[in-house]
Amino acid sequence: MTPLLSVRGLEVALIRDSQPVPVVANVSFDVAAGEVLGIVGESGAGKSVAGAALIDLLSPPLRRTAGEISLGADRLDRMTPRQLRRVRGGRVGFIFQDPMTSLNPVLTIGRQMADTMRAHLRLSRAEIRRRSLDWIERVGLPDPPRVLDAAPHELSGGQRQRVVIALALCAEPELVIADEPTTALDVSVQAQILTLLRRLHHETGSAMILITHDLGVVAKMCDRVAVMYAGRIVETAPTDRLFHAPRHHYTRGLLAATPAPDAAGRMQVAAIPGQMPGVGDLPTGCAFHPRCPRADALCREIRPELTPMQGALAACHHPLNAARAAEVTA
Amino acid sequence: MRLRLPRLAPLRGAPGAALSAVLLVVLVLYALLVPLVAPDPFSLGGLSIMDSFTPPIWAEGGNPVMPLGADDQGRNMVTAMAYGLRTSLIVGVFAVLIGLVLGGALGLVAGYAGGRTDALIMRLADVQLAYPALLLAMIIDGIVNATIGEARSTLQAMTIVILAIGVAFWVQFARTIRSSVLVERNQDYVSAARITGRSAGAIIGRHILPNVMAPVLVIATTSLGLAIIAEATLSFLGIGIPLTHPSLGALIRNGANYLQSGEWWIAIWPCLLLMVLVVAVNVLGDHLRDYYNPRLRGRS
Amino acid sequence: MILHAVERILQTLLVILIISFIAFMLIDTLGDPLGLLLPPDASLAERQALTERLGLDRPLLARFAEFLAGLPRGDLGISYRTQEEVSGMIAARLPATIELAAVALLISLVVAIPAGIYTGVFPRSRFARAIMFVSIAGVTLPNFVVGILLIAIFSVQLGWFPSFGRGATIVLGGWETGLLTRSGWHAIILPALTLSLFQMTFIIRLLRTQLMEIGRSEHIRFARARGLGEARLWFVYALRNALLPTITMLALQLGNIIAFSVVTESVFAWPGIGTLFLQSVQAADIRVIAIYLIFVGIVYMVINLLVELLYPLIDPRLRQRHA
Repeated sequence: MTPLLSVRGLEVALIRDSQPVPVVANVSFDVAAGEVLGIVGESGAGKSVAGAALIDLLSPPLRRTAGEISLGADRLDRMTPRQLRRVRGGRVGFIFQDPMTSLNPVLTIGRQMADTMRAHLRLSRAEIRRRSLDWIERVGLPDPPRVLDAAPHELSGGQRQRVVIALALCAEPELVIADEPTTALDVSVQAQILTLLRRLHHETGSAMILITHDLGVVAKMCDRVAVMYAGRIVETAPTDRLFHAPRHHYTRGLLAATPAPDAAGRMQVAAIPGQMPGVGDLPTGCAFHPRCPRADALCREIRPELTPMQGALAACHHPLNAARAAEVTA
Repeated sequence: MRLRLPRLAPLRGAPGAALSAVLLVVLVLYALLVPLVAPDPFSLGGLSIMDSFTPPIWAEGGNPVMPLGADDQGRNMVTAMAYGLRTSLIVGVFAVLIGLVLGGALGLVAGYAGGRTDALIMRLADVQLAYPALLLAMIIDGIVNATIGEARSTLQAMTIVILAIGVAFWVQFARTIRSSVLVERNQDYVSAARITGRSAGAIIGRHILPNVMAPVLVIATTSLGLAIIAEATLSFLGIGIPLTHPSLGALIRNGANYLQSGEWWIAIWPCLLLMVLVVAVNVLGDHLRDYYNPRLRGRS
Repeated sequence: MILHAVERILQTLLVILIISFIAFMLIDTLGDPLGLLLPPDASLAERQALTERLGLDRPLLARFAEFLAGLPRGDLGISYRTQEEVSGMIAARLPATIELAAVALLISLVVAIPAGIYTGVFPRSRFARAIMFVSIAGVTLPNFVVGILLIAIFSVQLGWFPSFGRGATIVLGGWETGLLTRSGWHAIILPALTLSLFQMTFIIRLLRTQLMEIGRSEHIRFARARGLGEARLWFVYALRNALLPTITMLALQLGNIIAFSVVTESVFAWPGIGTLFLQSVQAADIRVIAIYLIFVGIVYMVINLLVELLYPLIDPRLRQRHA
């Protein structure tokens, strides 16, 4: 079966003094129709940048420098700005992270939703109104007419995130990219939003890419997971297999650790000593080798490629759980 | 007191600001040195009617001694403008100094005393903000005229203009210094100094003044540009410095009379000189503001 | 909401009261009505009689109350210089000033809004850089220098427009307008351009900064991610957000614009309020100066108050729900 979305060799660079510094390198993955793919990693791993690069939402100094992106039969990377505009929102919905800043503060919710639908669907005024009310109800907000007339500041954070979701989905996209959809919310609200996302995913049957640093979210939502480290995918596997038999030492570290915010509010993986290298500051060989317990001369010299290992892919010279993985497969 | 060389660090890596600084030095030298060698063209002895309306050197009838031409009274424009520039600079600098002293004192008092005194002074500042410096200077000028009568010497006229402009500029200094005082007043080291029985004056001199130097320098530079414009405007309108001791604005006012008849150089040269002066001061002021305000640094 | 409006109105009235008092004190201490109304050889008794008749012997506050009461009725007293009613002098010149200000505002909006949006949306383009470079002139050049340069070029060199006066005017219902004649339009172009230059560059720079900032915001990115067209994005989604700070800053610059109108009127011998004010300053006509002081204060205060009270129409964040 051909996947709905297929990404091959995606590269994004930060243009610094007209020199490109790689931020995302050689990222390839597929998403099947109706599937939920999780992309996990620490802050700065490049997962959000990779997500934004899919529909060219990058703003300078970031720029996509290479990569084939196919959505169905269409190549997003070859589209004109006009064609791309029709894809954004229309075929690929994007759920933003922070509901406090993602909504236009001076326009009503109804106006923002009507403009979004009008950009993609040929509908009468009455039909737009009907669908808007319907969407507000579907994302679980009470009193839809009032919400449509409200300005963003009149809603709470959780309510706004529901509005953001409705806005991303209201033009009925086939693929939804959700970039840390719960990170900015109160813990109590996070679970509700996840439940809502899962329900809408089932109702609409759209595929989803869920970008998160939270493995709990992944376990709850995703069919498959891609782990990113320093701008590259280091392991992909079905969710079950990743949790039970991680191949990459970084993945194991992630699983062993409970992420907690550091002094600067960034999510840090406590169980792995050291820090992820910054952009333009990559070590030779495997980018993880300075923090890896199994690192040897090979790891320091040669970067491992993603290699198939019993139904999963991992980029490691000394993968874990070879035996156990075989057991799970069997 | 030990003399210190001006610190040039703020100009590093900023060619525009450095160029402006050099330009300002050249202009100041021009304004100070030419009057040393050339007699005052605005005294009776300086007139030479024979040379009146001499065009610039490249036009027909130009005179190499007067490369930029001469005005209606035969004054060499090069000399006349040096004298005019000197007056403009003097008035501008003194007006800013008055604004600085007045605003500084009121700001210190407001910030340090707090309470009603503070409220009164800042309320006054709010009211004054309804009137731009230029308009206020005109009003003050008119009021002073009404008080002392119109007969006045050049020196009096100059003093009035300096005062009028200076008074119009106090608000910004006062606000800046007041807010610095408010910030510093509650710092631990100031409280400590107060507990150990240091006088208010000592605390201000030792802890507060050093902290407000940078913003005050920035406001002073910006105000200098505005003060020069204000003076030029007043003089151009005929309510500033008279032509017996002209500033650039008075020169332009005089030249404007001959614009229609084709002797453009009498007005245009002082206009251009004023433009260069003001732009140089402003570029320098903008740069200093960005330099001392790290929040804005790096923004294009 | 209503409470806030009432509070702001009261504050404005208080400031206007303070300004009026300052103006009154100026007239009271510096004006000399006796010298104005009596012959120089008047006797002491005559002076005494007039003092009583004018109420000059009454307490200060009573005289101030009377002065205040006269303001809304248009009873502004008599100019010491021309012996005319100040209200009449102002009324005769107000239309010229208002027309000049209106045309100048129109020019600056028509030029500055597209230019500001363009430089904000494409800040790196060559044309935008050129606009920004030229705009430096607008904020730094003294107003009268601009006027003189315009006269030198368009009036003296090219002979397109007159350099002074209003041209032919027509009286329409007590309003003397120059906007209905060809020569009137010819005459207003250069002064209006001179006066508009400052506002124009001010609006361009403000809009540009605002739009550049808003263009980087998450809500614009989200709107783009939903497939909204660039035109709608900038002209509706971004501009709506940029409008409020721009209007506020412009209202705060009103005082400057009034000051520049004095200068502009003087450069072009425009028969408006500014010229009247300038003549009064030259002649030390303290009553007209004081009235002008009040006039400018009221215009500035009232416009700023209006702008503030109208904010909620632009920005729903400031709109309270009545539910």
